[in-house]
Amino acid sequence: MLETNLNRNQDPSECLFSDEHVKQIKANYQDWFENSLRDVDRESEGKYFTHSGIPIKLIYTPADIEHLSYTEDIGFSGHPPYLRGVYPNMYRGRFFTVRQLAGLGAPEDCNERVCYLLDHGATGISILFDLPTVRGYNSDDPEAEGNVGACGAAVDSIWDIDAFFKDIDLGTASTNIVTHLPSTSLVIPAMYFAVAEQRGTPWTSVAGTCQNDFIMETCVGSAPEILPPHASFRMQCDVIEWICKNIPKWNPVSYNGYNLREAGTNAVGEVGTAIANAMATADELIRRGMSIDDFAPRMSFFWDLHNDFFEEIAKCRASRKVWYQLMKGRYNAQNPKSLLMRFHVQTAGVTLPATEPLNNVARSAFQGMAAVLGGCQSLHIDSYDEAYSAPTEEAALLSLRTQQILQAETGVCSTVDPLAGSYYVEYLTEQMVKRIWDYIGKIEGMGGLVKAVEDGWLHREISTYNMEYQKKIESGDMKIVGVNFQAATETETTAIEVYEYPETYSRQKSKLEKLRKDRSDTKVQESLDALRNACHREENLVPHCLEAVKNLVTLGEIEEAFREEFGLWAFPLL
Amino acid sequence: MDRKIRVVMAKLGLDIHWRGVYLVSQFLKDSGMEVVYLGNKFPEQIVDAAIEEDADVIGLSSLGGAHMTLGPKVVKLLKEKGLNHIKVFMGGVMAPKDAHCLEQEHGIEKVYLPDTPMQAIIDGIRSKVALA
Amino acid sequence: MRKIDDIITSALSGDKACVSRLISLVERDDEQAPYIMRQLYPFSGKAYYIGITGAPGAGKSTMVDKLVKMFCKNGNRVGVIAVDPSSPFSGGALLGDRVRVNIKKKEYDYFFRSMSSGNIMGGLSRTTKEAARILDACGKNIIIIETVGVGQSELDVAKATDTVVVMLTPESGDGVQIMKAGLIEVADIFVVNKCDRPGADNIAHALKGMLDRIDYRLSWKPPIFRTAAALNKGIDKFYDGLWQHQQYLNCDKKIMLRRQRQIKEELKRNIETEFTKMILRDIYDGNDFGVALDNVCEHRIDPQNAARQIVTSWLSREIPAILAPNVAALGQR
Repeated sequence: MLETNLNRNQDPSECLFSDEHVKQIKANYQDWFENSLRDVDRESEGKYFTHSGIPIKLIYTPADIEHLSYTEDIGFSGHPPYLRGVYPNMYRGRFFTVRQLAGLGAPEDCNERVCYLLDHGATGISILFDLPTVRGYNSDDPEAEGNVGACGAAVDSIWDIDAFFKDIDLGTASTNIVTHLPSTSLVIPAMYFAVAEQRGTPWTSVAGTCQNDFIMETCVGSAPEILPPHASFRMQCDVIEWICKNIPKWNPVSYNGYNLREAGTNAVGEVGTAIANAMATADELIRRGMSIDDFAPRMSFFWDLHNDFFEEIAKCRASRKVWYQLMKGRYNAQNPKSLLMRFHVQTAGVTLPATEPLNNVARSAFQGMAAVLGGCQSLHIDSYDEAYSAPTEEAALLSLRTQQILQAETGVCSTVDPLAGSYYVEYLTEQMVKRIWDYIGKIEGMGGLVKAVEDGWLHREISTYNMEYQKKIESGDMKIVGVNFQAATETETTAIEVYEYPETYSRQKSKLEKLRKDRSDTKVQESLDALRNACHREENLVPHCLEAVKNLVTLGEIEEAFREEFGLWAFPLL
Repeated sequence: MDRKIRVVMAKLGLDIHWRGVYLVSQFLKDSGMEVVYLGNKFPEQIVDAAIEEDADVIGLSSLGGAHMTLGPKVVKLLKEKGLNHIKVFMGGVMAPKDAHCLEQEHGIEKVYLPDTPMQAIIDGIRSKVALA
Repeated sequence: MRKIDDIITSALSGDKACVSRLISLVERDDEQAPYIMRQLYPFSGKAYYIGITGAPGAGKSTMVDKLVKMFCKNGNRVGVIAVDPSSPFSGGALLGDRVRVNIKKKEYDYFFRSMSSGNIMGGLSRTTKEAARILDACGKNIIIIETVGVGQSELDVAKATDTVVVMLTPESGDGVQIMKAGLIEVADIFVVNKCDRPGADNIAHALKGMLDRIDYRLSWKPPIFRTAAALNKGIDKFYDGLWQHQQYLNCDKKIMLRRQRQIKEELKRNIETEFTKMILRDIYDGNDFGVALDNVCEHRIDPQNAARQIVTSWLSREIPAILAPNVAALGQR
């Protein structure tokens, strides 16, 4: 258990309930347990657990949270330990950003969808890219075959980013560039910043986020060519360092609990890994000469919102508290903004089966509600056809409307952290805090997250989790309505429209041909050489990428250079 | 003597989701099959591997959208080389109509969509493999 | 189902699918296996065999990928057999060496076969040798056998080659481990891989210290190569080192002596296997065995004498019966 250097004031008068009151409640509980319950109810104790394995009692009373102090452990919103929310006014001040994903086909097609969403009330956009772009291949590389424009936008060069954001003011938009990997986070944001520069938009007004998480490169996604963990981690830190110094409104990292969770872990692993990643990053950036307050305010997180309603809410609350304890206790951050854990939430795609897809509208709505009760800063609700493909316009609109209904009709945003004080939720939150710290401690004990990944520990955790989860589903222990519980004998297939953009490949290909003719080969060579050299020195790679993209070097060429200079790596699983 | 079924498992192309294919590989191993796990590979590499490993079955995993292009390419390459005894199965996320099309028109033995029980996959493979 | 002779002929002229099928047949000890080996063995013996072994995580698969590319680039034809453990429970296997093999050049001539070590049919050693010989006979001039050097049988497999390479990493632990595993005596070349990691120097020095204490005056002193296979570092020197060892073996026909020693071991072991198959089975299934078992359990006789009795009585009873038809078959010589 890590030392957090935080004093605990265990003044009895600080506790939520008086000693005599708790004693009485405990006595009453005994009586209730023995006399009001049936045998079968008593026997059911010890058989209920949350998804991550926290035991659930039949009833919770003040006695279960008797040691909690309101000031120390729960507090006010916008104040340590930030359990109740990062801002004092939470949703009365600012609604959670309704961020919807966009990304299909060629950048010109995406531009249409982005404008559509902005016109219909979305306040922020998350941009997805196609697989070749995510993994650093051009649309005309052999590796891109069959994947160009499928499930995301195809971006090969700075021209594509320009087309993507046509007629959109980069000075007022808030864009989440879902680059996943640090290697692409070096290049695509550079294209974005270069385009802003070319349009005369000052970097001081450019706002957004990029994901930039080395866990994405090395654990979450498999690929034919993967960069080694230490290289990917170095790139992650390069991006954060440079952006913190140059683009004041940009969050250079969104620690991705979501994708790791989808790959195979529980709520504890999701938050624990992300925070361990933030710790490793902090240690490295401090080693490079930065101070904690230079970058901690810009670190944001991305959580998954799974099915176990109260556990997920507890997870959200607990993550804020753990972050505060870490920043204050270990890093002694002085800037209050460093103490705030801000997170975006996406409802869990992995919980949305293909069978009876309209059921997923209900699932996502519940998950969305939990995200709001957990105090998220922005939210994406998955579309009901998640199990099939990228969302249709109708499904995307429904997700957007779900969020708007949450904001405008349910009343849950009218008060801060409505579930505070619930005996169960506070108990769960404390449990999650403890378990997350234990998990982080385990990783520290192995020498830090980068080492734990290199050694294959995280991959084994994922693989074990998946095996157990699968066994629970097949035995019926874990119920999925419509699939293994109340499963219909006749499976009705709802007509699902699938959008296809087959001409993306040819459009991108001709664009690339023109680009190769238009650009100066000398400049291309020079910028690539400088980049390659920088790979082997303690130099930040971002300026070299900026230079390269301005010289019309393609994404694929830059990424190929990285692969050659850093070498390739494979999951240490088999 | 029951000969072991040899399966070559691959993620199609750049597809990043390895959770399902790795899980299925483990279950196939536990059911007594010999599974050669390729990781992410492209159709030519997958077919070469299937030949060298004398595979009975190729298992392809696709959640990224390449199922309609790269999947049928594997079958086409097998046909060109006269390897009609190798059965190709697919697993992943796709519209049911795509799955249907792959099975009826592109020579994929069976497409296993999400939520298929592991035993169904094991039994499906066993029944389709002709142990000559 | 094609006739076996067709398959063999096609395999000898390079048909990959046929080569592959032959390997499968010998791997599962098919009744055609002895015939297959009888036909192919005369064509083998031309390839240079390299065994690569080491603890899990040493980077063997990555190294094999690099070696295959280097050999092929220089016009060689490479066969690889990668041995991985299998499940002791189900008998199934999950073989993952190919994950790290990513060869894009279509003109490279190589054949990669994964093999599970739990193949109880023929024993790992025999199966791997036969598969290697098939590749040899069918035209490969370099055979690489890759094993995880954790068990005795895996070590035996590596030893049955012309050059044994032992791979270590900075995390391999101290020299005691290498001694215990018997790798010092076996290695012709040491490779310290992942040398970009801290600790590489330590392990290389420790190894050098151990080797310096051994008297290599009349033989080959194993060189130590430092590599970082994933980064393509040090591969050139290691590759040259392999050829140097081959040259060393070729002069004064040392390679013949080495192979003769190996074949002698192999013949002996094969004879033991045949013996077990044909004779011991008969003894274990016989009546005498059951009776002796009772007697020993009831403390009427000790196990040593009981065994002697069984064998003596079997020999005197069965030998004439066995020999008779064989003598007739031998005819008048």
